[in-house]
Amino acid sequence: MLAMVRRKWTYLVIGALLAFLILIPFDWSLGQYTVLMIFIGIHTMITVGLCLLLGYTGQVSLGQAAFYGTGAYFSAVLSKTYGVDPWLAMLIAAAATGAFAYVIGYPIFRLRGNYLAMATLGLGMIIYILFNQLAQFTGGPEGMSGIPYLSIGGFVFDNSFKRYFLVWFFCLAVLLISQNIVRSRTGRALRAIHGSEAAAESIGINVTQFKVKIFVLSAVYASLAGSLFVHHLTFISPQPFGFLASLMIVVMAVIGGLASIWGAIFGAATIRILSDELLLTFGEWDVIIYGLMLMLVMIFMPEGLFVRLKEVFERLRLRYQQRGTET
Amino acid sequence: MSESILETSGLSKAFGGLVALDRVDLAIEAGKIIAIIGPNGAGKTTLFNVITGVYAPTEGEVIFRGRPLSKTMSTSLVRSVPWFGGLSSSLLGTLLFFAQLNTPHHRARLGIARTFQNILLFGNMTVLENVMSGQHPRSHYGFLEAALRLPKAHREEESISLNAMKYLNLVGLGAHAEQNALSLPLGQQKLLAIARALATEPQLLLLDEPGAGLNTLEKQELSDLIRRIREMGITVLLVEHDMPLVMGLAEWVIVLDSGQKIAEGTAAQIQRDQRVISAYLGEEVE
Amino acid sequence: MSADQFLQYLISGLTQGSIYALVGVGFTIIYAVTRIINFAQGEFVMLGGMISFTLASSTGIPVAPAFILSVLIAAAIGAIMYVLAIRTAKRASAVSLIIITIGAAVFIRGIAGQLWGKDYVRPPYFTGDEPISFLGAYIQPQALWIIGTMLVVTVLLHLFLSYTMVGKALKACAINPGAAGLVGINTRTMALIAFLLAASIGAIGGAVMAPLTVTSYGVGIMMGLKGFVAASIGGFRSPIAAVIGGIGLGIIEALAVAINWGPFNSDYKDAIALIVLLLILIFRSGRLAEEERAG
Repeated sequence: MLAMVRRKWTYLVIGALLAFLILIPFDWSLGQYTVLMIFIGIHTMITVGLCLLLGYTGQVSLGQAAFYGTGAYFSAVLSKTYGVDPWLAMLIAAAATGAFAYVIGYPIFRLRGNYLAMATLGLGMIIYILFNQLAQFTGGPEGMSGIPYLSIGGFVFDNSFKRYFLVWFFCLAVLLISQNIVRSRTGRALRAIHGSEAAAESIGINVTQFKVKIFVLSAVYASLAGSLFVHHLTFISPQPFGFLASLMIVVMAVIGGLASIWGAIFGAATIRILSDELLLTFGEWDVIIYGLMLMLVMIFMPEGLFVRLKEVFERLRLRYQQRGTET
Repeated sequence: MSESILETSGLSKAFGGLVALDRVDLAIEAGKIIAIIGPNGAGKTTLFNVITGVYAPTEGEVIFRGRPLSKTMSTSLVRSVPWFGGLSSSLLGTLLFFAQLNTPHHRARLGIARTFQNILLFGNMTVLENVMSGQHPRSHYGFLEAALRLPKAHREEESISLNAMKYLNLVGLGAHAEQNALSLPLGQQKLLAIARALATEPQLLLLDEPGAGLNTLEKQELSDLIRRIREMGITVLLVEHDMPLVMGLAEWVIVLDSGQKIAEGTAAQIQRDQRVISAYLGEEVE
Repeated sequence: MSADQFLQYLISGLTQGSIYALVGVGFTIIYAVTRIINFAQGEFVMLGGMISFTLASSTGIPVAPAFILSVLIAAAIGAIMYVLAIRTAKRASAVSLIIITIGAAVFIRGIAGQLWGKDYVRPPYFTGDEPISFLGAYIQPQALWIIGTMLVVTVLLHLFLSYTMVGKALKACAINPGAAGLVGINTRTMALIAFLLAASIGAIGGAVMAPLTVTSYGVGIMMGLKGFVAASIGGFRSPIAAVIGGIGLGIIEALAVAINWGPFNSDYKDAIALIVLLLILIFRSGRLAEEERAG
């Protein structure tokens, strides 16, 4: 009985959130947040990848913004300079980024020590340098504009309203796919790796291969996000793809919860909103606050802020229910 | 005379200056229960680790069902030259990655399963899910089918569940399927670890001190379980310290001391062997 | 390129490499004793330079005491970081600890940015800036200070680790923390000492380099990255190997700029460190993986 009530309650909440999501971009008081929501959706896609990576391989990547950037630049350059169809460009970008992550990932994940963090930090920096230096392709530090919109048939995604639904379609698809993966045999293997790598190997799980696959998946998610970003802004420059961006993604993942899929929305939303507010009120202090957040959350709530909040919420709800049945 | 399911020839493993295994030759008969005993530090767990691919041997070979498992070429030839050896054995290692014979997960696929001294259950899963994980090498659907929830995924999940339940019932833990794995008492955790290893459908099962920490009744149930496993056609190799358990169960006993095989025979023969007695007594310095 | 020019580049590489060496030593000490990769290591280098600038330039304290004071302050910050951020995390997982040190690094960098602004600053030279002629090339006196300091620190550290009780206790922790605890070594105190040492050495490097290379609030990341590469050459176990690795990296960078062909030029100089790192990871991964599993 309780389980049934609980499931109905969950469906109600999901339904309400979905309705809310659909209603936002229309012409009312919340409509002003449409563009903000587009960016939240884009960042959620990147954050989910990192959450999975952190939660299941126990390694942190400080270079997700690099994959975000390669997706963006591939899409931008292919569709603008070479006239490639934007959807095809997006696909090529994702494939190239994924392949790149695969090549980098194998040697790194074969080591048990925590080399991924530094390696991705350095990788992010090299790629940032490349974005700035290869000006003949990328337009250098000044960037490049005039990137075409995405379109399906005659329907062009030429305003924020339309792009909002496009981005959230992709975002929700990424989230659902991630959830399907986690609930499957693959997800079990990942949880096994998280539980005990030695035992996982002993039952036939190729630990290194799974870690690399998750890394590649996170790179592909970031690449898709980058492509969507660039077809929204129609302008690209290296600036949003540097270390600060990668750091922000880490903060989003930590807030959202390592290994948490839906928490990624929470993390991305919190930091996006916070960063806009912080920049207004505190100027350069946003970085200091990120550093503080990382330390505080990882010291006191290593499973992530969102996950901890869920636990607290659960406990409160149980206590409330108990009181209800006692009377 | 049955054929050997597992053979080792001249198997050695050294960690820097410390020799853990010293030219060990074994021939494990298929379908039997075989025990490996010896004083502490004799190299028993190291032997398991080399057989299952956790360590590469410094010398010698492991042969499973007639097929050699270790990387021979890069080990001996290339290691002779220090820096170059390191460089190219790593390169070779990367290439051999695709040959994949040396890694534990590949050996599990080939049919060698094991349990650990410190159990190593997956604490973030239920009892049933632990056993279902064991079915990993016998199932196939991957990322794509999982991501899109294709019918193949559903069908395989069904059979994984059913098989896992079967193994869980075999060890007598069927009733606890939905509990968290770590909520079980120690004795049952050990049974769960065995069920998980069985779920990989091995031909050879290595049990590392399965009886440690069990009471008399649990040890009796463990013996019965091991016999049932043998009846299923699985060869059981176990490392144990509990002599009555070993003597009552094992059809063949191998004795290791300081990395060397010092004796082998039936339980009765081993009990009378002088070298074995002095190896054990020798360790009890008063 | 003439022999003189080549020598000039070599000297430049040796100078830079000495700094990388010191940063790498810091990484190695902390990792060896605590198994933590301290992302804030580069920030200690930055602090060494920035604090000595404030002391020597703004408050007119002479160079020598300013140097010593800045190293002490940086060491204190390192100790505070250990006590507040690392020790309170108790049984945190490896990835949690890494994120904590990342947070600390970003935090320190951010505060430094607020305190000192974004400008590049230069503390006064130790003994002036008249270039000294040497075999056809010129070497700055500050560069001699840098190389000399690196050598002195390396020797002192080696003596400390091999011949003092505390040093040997640190080594014991590095080899086997469990056993070290059993024989009565307080591993938490050792960890604190490791952080103090690493912060001091990093700050020494920063303070002695700043007059020559100029510094700002943001140099920590690059310094940390290059020091990490130096330390990984040594496998994170041997400070001496980290020193060799650091010097090697400095020289490779200088030679790459000297060659000035294709991707080997000053624009991509920083990328070279990362490429070296990746090569190390690829080629060590075979042996390293087995060592990790065994140890």
